[in-house]
Amino acid sequence: MDAWLEWARGPVFLFSFTFMFLGLIRHVGLTAWAMVRTMRQAGDKTIPYAQVLSATLKWLIPVDKVRSQILFSLTSLLFHIAILIVPLFLAGHIVLWTRGLGLSWPAIPNNVADVLTIVAIVTAVALVIQRATAPATRSLSRFQDYALPLLVALPFASGYFVMHPSGNPFSYEATLFVHAMSANVLFVLIPLTKLSHMAFFPSVQMVSEIAWRWPSDSGSKVGLALGKENEAI
Amino acid sequence: MTTPREKYSYYVEEKALEVTDRPRKFLEAFAAVLENSSYGLALDVYTRLSTKCSRCAASCQLYQSTGEEQDIPCHRSELLFRVYRRYFTPAGNLKARLFGGFTLTDEYLDEMAEAYYRCTACRRCKPSCPMGVDHGLVTHLARWLLAEIDVIPKALLVATREQLEGVGNTSAITVPALVDTCEFLEEEFHDIYGVDDVKYPIDVEGAEYVFFPAVSDYLLEADTLMGNAAVMHLTGGSWSIGTGNFDGINYGLFYSDRMMERIVKNVVGEVRRLKGKKILVGECGHATRSAWFVPTFGGPDAPEIVNCLQYAWAQMKAGRIPLKKEKIQEKVTYHDPCNIARTGRITEEPREILKVICEDFVEMTPNREENYCCGGGGGTVSIDEIRAFRTGPMGKRKADQIRATGAKYVVAPCANCKKQLREVCEDNDLEDVEIIGLHDLLLKVIDFSHETSSHGQEEQPTQDGQE
Repeated sequence: MDAWLEWARGPVFLFSFTFMFLGLIRHVGLTAWAMVRTMRQAGDKTIPYAQVLSATLKWLIPVDKVRSQILFSLTSLLFHIAILIVPLFLAGHIVLWTRGLGLSWPAIPNNVADVLTIVAIVTAVALVIQRATAPATRSLSRFQDYALPLLVALPFASGYFVMHPSGNPFSYEATLFVHAMSANVLFVLIPLTKLSHMAFFPSVQMVSEIAWRWPSDSGSKVGLALGKENEAI
Repeated sequence: MTTPREKYSYYVEEKALEVTDRPRKFLEAFAAVLENSSYGLALDVYTRLSTKCSRCAASCQLYQSTGEEQDIPCHRSELLFRVYRRYFTPAGNLKARLFGGFTLTDEYLDEMAEAYYRCTACRRCKPSCPMGVDHGLVTHLARWLLAEIDVIPKALLVATREQLEGVGNTSAITVPALVDTCEFLEEEFHDIYGVDDVKYPIDVEGAEYVFFPAVSDYLLEADTLMGNAAVMHLTGGSWSIGTGNFDGINYGLFYSDRMMERIVKNVVGEVRRLKGKKILVGECGHATRSAWFVPTFGGPDAPEIVNCLQYAWAQMKAGRIPLKKEKIQEKVTYHDPCNIARTGRITEEPREILKVICEDFVEMTPNREENYCCGGGGGTVSIDEIRAFRTGPMGKRKADQIRATGAKYVVAPCANCKKQLREVCEDNDLEDVEIIGLHDLLLKVIDFSHETSSHGQEEQPTQDGQE
């Protein structure tokens, strides 16, 4: 078991974390490049920056947005807060970063982490339940839409047992293995699935604005490409 | 043999039913659009991170009425995303090779043809999407791609044909008919208001503003046009109507960037022919939004765009529009046309004017950027055969909203909204409500006896172009 654990915490973690990191960098880089290219070709080069910024901030700090569909919005908001804070600021995780790369930053108290961990698990399950019970969401949902929140909850559930071995029915090593491996799986999935929104999110409002900035002859060039330039309407 | 109406809920031309090999042609068009326009960026991002949260459903007035899956904005956009993923992304291509799965079929195209014309592209769902997906953009693009396999509502197609290949405008108004109409309106000023010098300047070179209303106003909205002319007259505005092109309507916005580009370029061409400086758009939402694409298609030093509401408020604020003491007494409410209000670009000017001229102005709820669509947006108002849909599931929210205000006048500064709202009111037991343009209402309170120095100035365009 120890060998498996070392494997999961060592080479597999290194691979999956690097995969996520590079994958997200690639997303951001390619999107930024496409935005620049689009604007270079655009006939209209003006962008309402203040409006785009305001739309972006309204979602990054969604105090205003939670008011519509309040139950779902609050669940989602709490879920996101919990899953962002705990992995990054758990003392036990920072120790690993210090040991590996000499990096260090302030940690949150363990009892706060406990609460947030439970929030993460409860909201993940609640999101799935809401998804399954609301008619609109149910009809839109794909397999991954149910699977991903539960998969996100897994490292939190196993992590909670790692922190509280006394209440854990399973062996400590096995729990830690599940914890590390489920996180590794997530790291790999992040750039490949809708979870990549963590990288795209700050740019989406700008993307939607730029999407309307077409080249000045885009229509006629499409007509030319389709051999329809002289076609009667 | 299917009749056109049996295939879709709207009429298409016969030739649309004869197109063969449609999936291939659709994909060719898609490829050409991705190559030559800039939709690829948005599609790349949208298809990756669409999270299927369904927040958009709650904001869609159609879904609120029908509760049907096909009317969830995200569901509709996914129809196109699926095609994009499968045929234009490496991952989708690989997945299809390994596991099979989605293939674009004729039936699927028919589903899209129906879905994208059940959406008015009002973009009310845009701010409700955490991922910033602009479903209005997706509808806009999907309709263009469908148009390339000839799926175009006949009403939109024949109007555009008339505009680009026929008489030159969507209502087929000839130049003599236009001149007649303008002269008739000038006589009306004499008969009703006793003023003789209100003119519709035609083909005046060097005017500051070249006027582009929805051309249908010349047939249907005489009071709006008289309000426009009265404002220009009283404020000494230098303006002209061009006989080469006097139609602000651009149905290209609703189904094809190819047509949209041609129509916008024609508008710009007419302004240049007349050596005009700015485009003055009449009371029309989509004409204004299309005109906002002048910088896109019009090349460098494209003329500036001014909507007549912006012009009128600027002039009123400067005290150049003399008004009677007696305000409009009836209760008045304001409908925000999606095309000018959704992004917050024109929301306050009309309200400021109404607050000045009305005794009892009330807001609809919600309003401004969050206002409900009239139900006939995206060109669907022109499709007469879907009236029951427009005024039923699509227009129900609007009818409720109007009813809740208890207003006598609903001001809608948009030719499409006006037609649609009249039908909404007829079909939803709101007979007492009158749908009216803002300039129509303004005309009622203008005091022509007070006019001073500006007589006849609009006939001699000034070089300094003062307002």
